[in-house]
Amino acid sequence: MNQISEAIGFNLIVISPTVALVITALILLFFTITIETKMIVKKVITFSGILVTLFCVFLKFGLFSQNGVSSYFTQKILLDEFSLFGNVLIGLILFLNFIPIWGTSYELNEKTSEAIILILMSASGFFLMVDAENLIMLFIGLEIGSISLYALAGLNRRDKLSNEASLKYFLLGSLASCIFIYGVALVYVSYSLMSVYDFALAIAYTGPDLIPLTTFIGVLLIFVGLLFKIAAAPFQSWAPDVYQGSPTGYVGYMASVAKAASFIVIARICMVSIRFILEDFEPFFFAVIFLSVLVGSFFASIQTDLKRLIAYSGVVQSGFILSGITSGVNGTSSSMFYLFAYILQLIGIFTIFSIISGKLSSNFEMDNMKGLMKNNRFLAISFCVFMLGLAGIPLTSGFVSKFILLTNLWAYEKYFLVSILLLSTVVGFYFYLKPIWIATIEKVDEPIETLLIKKSEYLLIAFLASLTILFGLLPNTLINISRWVVQNYL
Amino acid sequence: MIGLTYSFVLIPFVSTIFIFLIPKKRAELFRPLTIFLSLIPLGLCLYIFLNQNLKTSFNVVDKFSWISAYGINLTFGLSGMSFLLITLNCLLVLLSILSLNENHGLSKGFLGSLMLLQASVNGVFLAGDLISLFIFFEALLIPMYFLMGIWGGENRRYATIKFILFTVFGSIFILAGTIYTGVLSYLSSGSFALDFETISSLSFTSSQSKILFLLFTFGFLIKVPIFPLHTWLPDAHVEAPTAGSILLAGVLLKVGAYGILRVSIPFFTEGFIEYQFLIAILSVIGIIYGAIVAIVQIDIKKLIAYSSISHMGFVMLGISAGRFLSLEGAVIQMINHGITSGALFMLVGFIYDRRHTRRISDFGGLKQSMPIYAGVFLFTSFASIGLPGLNGFVGEFMILMGSFPTFQFLSSIAAFGVVLAAIYMLWAYQRMFNGKLIHEENKEIHDLNSKELAAVAPLLLLMLFIGIYPSFIESYVLQDVSVIYESINNILGES
Repeated sequence: MNQISEAIGFNLIVISPTVALVITALILLFFTITIETKMIVKKVITFSGILVTLFCVFLKFGLFSQNGVSSYFTQKILLDEFSLFGNVLIGLILFLNFIPIWGTSYELNEKTSEAIILILMSASGFFLMVDAENLIMLFIGLEIGSISLYALAGLNRRDKLSNEASLKYFLLGSLASCIFIYGVALVYVSYSLMSVYDFALAIAYTGPDLIPLTTFIGVLLIFVGLLFKIAAAPFQSWAPDVYQGSPTGYVGYMASVAKAASFIVIARICMVSIRFILEDFEPFFFAVIFLSVLVGSFFASIQTDLKRLIAYSGVVQSGFILSGITSGVNGTSSSMFYLFAYILQLIGIFTIFSIISGKLSSNFEMDNMKGLMKNNRFLAISFCVFMLGLAGIPLTSGFVSKFILLTNLWAYEKYFLVSILLLSTVVGFYFYLKPIWIATIEKVDEPIETLLIKKSEYLLIAFLASLTILFGLLPNTLINISRWVVQNYL
Repeated sequence: MIGLTYSFVLIPFVSTIFIFLIPKKRAELFRPLTIFLSLIPLGLCLYIFLNQNLKTSFNVVDKFSWISAYGINLTFGLSGMSFLLITLNCLLVLLSILSLNENHGLSKGFLGSLMLLQASVNGVFLAGDLISLFIFFEALLIPMYFLMGIWGGENRRYATIKFILFTVFGSIFILAGTIYTGVLSYLSSGSFALDFETISSLSFTSSQSKILFLLFTFGFLIKVPIFPLHTWLPDAHVEAPTAGSILLAGVLLKVGAYGILRVSIPFFTEGFIEYQFLIAILSVIGIIYGAIVAIVQIDIKKLIAYSSISHMGFVMLGISAGRFLSLEGAVIQMINHGITSGALFMLVGFIYDRRHTRRISDFGGLKQSMPIYAGVFLFTSFASIGLPGLNGFVGEFMILMGSFPTFQFLSSIAAFGVVLAAIYMLWAYQRMFNGKLIHEENKEIHDLNSKELAAVAPLLLLMLFIGIYPSFIESYVLQDVSVIYESINNILGES
């Protein structure tokens, strides 16, 4: 028995974060169906489940230091730097979003456990996705994660926009999944392989000139499926509607977790699988980046709804991150830094939105920010920090990430790309400063309702804002971590 | 002394936190505390002045590792020129706080923004590498955004956004230049080191030097501002509160010229020689255009804003000529313009607080009701025009003398700028102060009180002092200028 398990690479630690989350979800489900339990008990169960998950991620580091880069379960699950970075990122997203998620779910009353279970399941799926070596495994992880997110978007049944968001997300997301799985099939047709590592070997074996056309199309379709998840143009059309319609408290989680996992997977495919033929995909990626920056910047400047604005700004940021990932090793490392910094800002912004507009609300007009400075100085200042971080002003992590990303791109001699990205930051200043103006400067006449903020929310926002500034002043540690992720390919 | 340089950034920054910590109930404490806190950097200036030899070129004092993986450090240092500009900045911040009206003086946010502005402008002048120069260059937008946005005039939204977008548009060129320099530095030394020492040791090809010069200079010229890129300045000045205007004209415009002197010319000299004529033409157009447009202004603040364009044109003419005398004159004119235009904006602020108007036609005969104010205004106008014996004369004279051998035709035209300056300043003076008191409201208006006089008096003394004894300032800028001059001379000698 032992030998068999060793032969197939059976190792529970590798998938322990996924398992821990699924078990937590099942325990919650059990309590919800059978015994009537108090909210606080469920909260403790959920929170300790998340903590156990984080501990499992820690255990994986121990395994990595023993075995190094290794694959398990007959080449289904992979343990490498990307998967560890992805695990940390997703674990962190789950942990940091716990407060807004719980607050939102609490307001749903009878559906609290439903929402929490959905979130835990989706996180487990995304854990699986970043760990997957086999493309089918990747697809399973992506689907487990995404389907829970579709349901999460429509959880506020009485809200029309929420229903719309859910349906739209589901239909377009399924289409993207179809495209993805079709790409996997085409790749399988050409090489009879599923593993991302073997794929690279096969390409190296045949040589870049003799690669069948089906491989190109297959990889292209895989990318389309993944680019849909990160809302890169021209696959961005779902993002603004879904961000706007979904309950505000969940958007921070939904946006960040899908992006984090997909970017990690894209980075791994670019870095490992198609490493030798990456140049052939350059026109495709260039078109995607160019369109993302253009479409995102243009539409973000004309939005009046803040959630839509952040969605379109996310399209621009995706273009930025993608430009690093698709250009080489150093570019990928700077993109990892960018991704980390961006996700912290995203979570912070949506936590603030959920406090101001109500956790279950859907659309969030910019005018709702009026008088924030008078109402709550702390929220206003941290909102400015996050927005300026997204805009990339010096002294925030946004500047450092843009600076090192553009430096690397310039070193790869992509001058045209750098100029486009630089110009987009000017437009970015225009649309990021608009909400800041309304929140801090615009005068209000009518009396403002005071906002109710819990201490934990204060703590979370203060933590995220100070991290945004800290990584802007002392970026050394995070940059070293992001270089560690790609150390094998340097 | 270690820590000496960055404390110019740190002290105002910590002061801001102090100011925000005082409870709102004790509003009467805000201003005295801020005045006290802004005396500290000024005291530090005095300490450095007494204890250190500042008549040197740029010396690196402090160094931090910022991104060790890329070999990028944050470097701070001092030279004679940057010391003068820092002192000017600290002085103008102190005086603008002294000159605040009750409305602004009681606001934490306003005082805090001023201190933050001081910190970031100091940072620009202290920067010993491109990246920290860029960081502070952009960081000063944040306090300026709030100063103009919250406490500005009617049309402040348009003016603020325009100011920010113009500056950011310029700064992406500086960022591109910084990145390009970093990559070139990487190709030659293996790290992205961006400090001035490393850059000056790099050898650029002629085309690289030209591209880099254009990238950096374009970004800095927007900030100066030079002729077709100047349109943000009048809007920003008119809408900014008085203290914001003082600092905008007094030090923020100098940031651009400082950047050209510190970065563009010494490192990318070949590019400078290629494009110096273009810059000179634009500066002369700016001198004449600014002066002519100033003549027809009906708003006194806008008039001074356009006169700033004209005066900064002189600075850029002196820089572009690249002669020793003209460069020296340009630096001295930078300091002088900071003092004079700061004083002018302060004076306009005083009268605006009383009458809530800045239209020249709303005044007239003010000399009878405000004799001291009229005297101070006339004195400052004379300094601005460039009357011999006052500071404005020194700089403009040196610039015109120095640039004549290089651009004979252009500097002859530029000399008309001095005449035009006399027209717009004196005509405005005449319309505001001479004649009969036509408007009822102007009769009851009270003269400068002792507090306001105290705020403006140091500037008046400086105008006189520099006018009589200019070699005091000259001795500080000597070394900086000779470094720049030598780099130009080396290239000219080679070709």
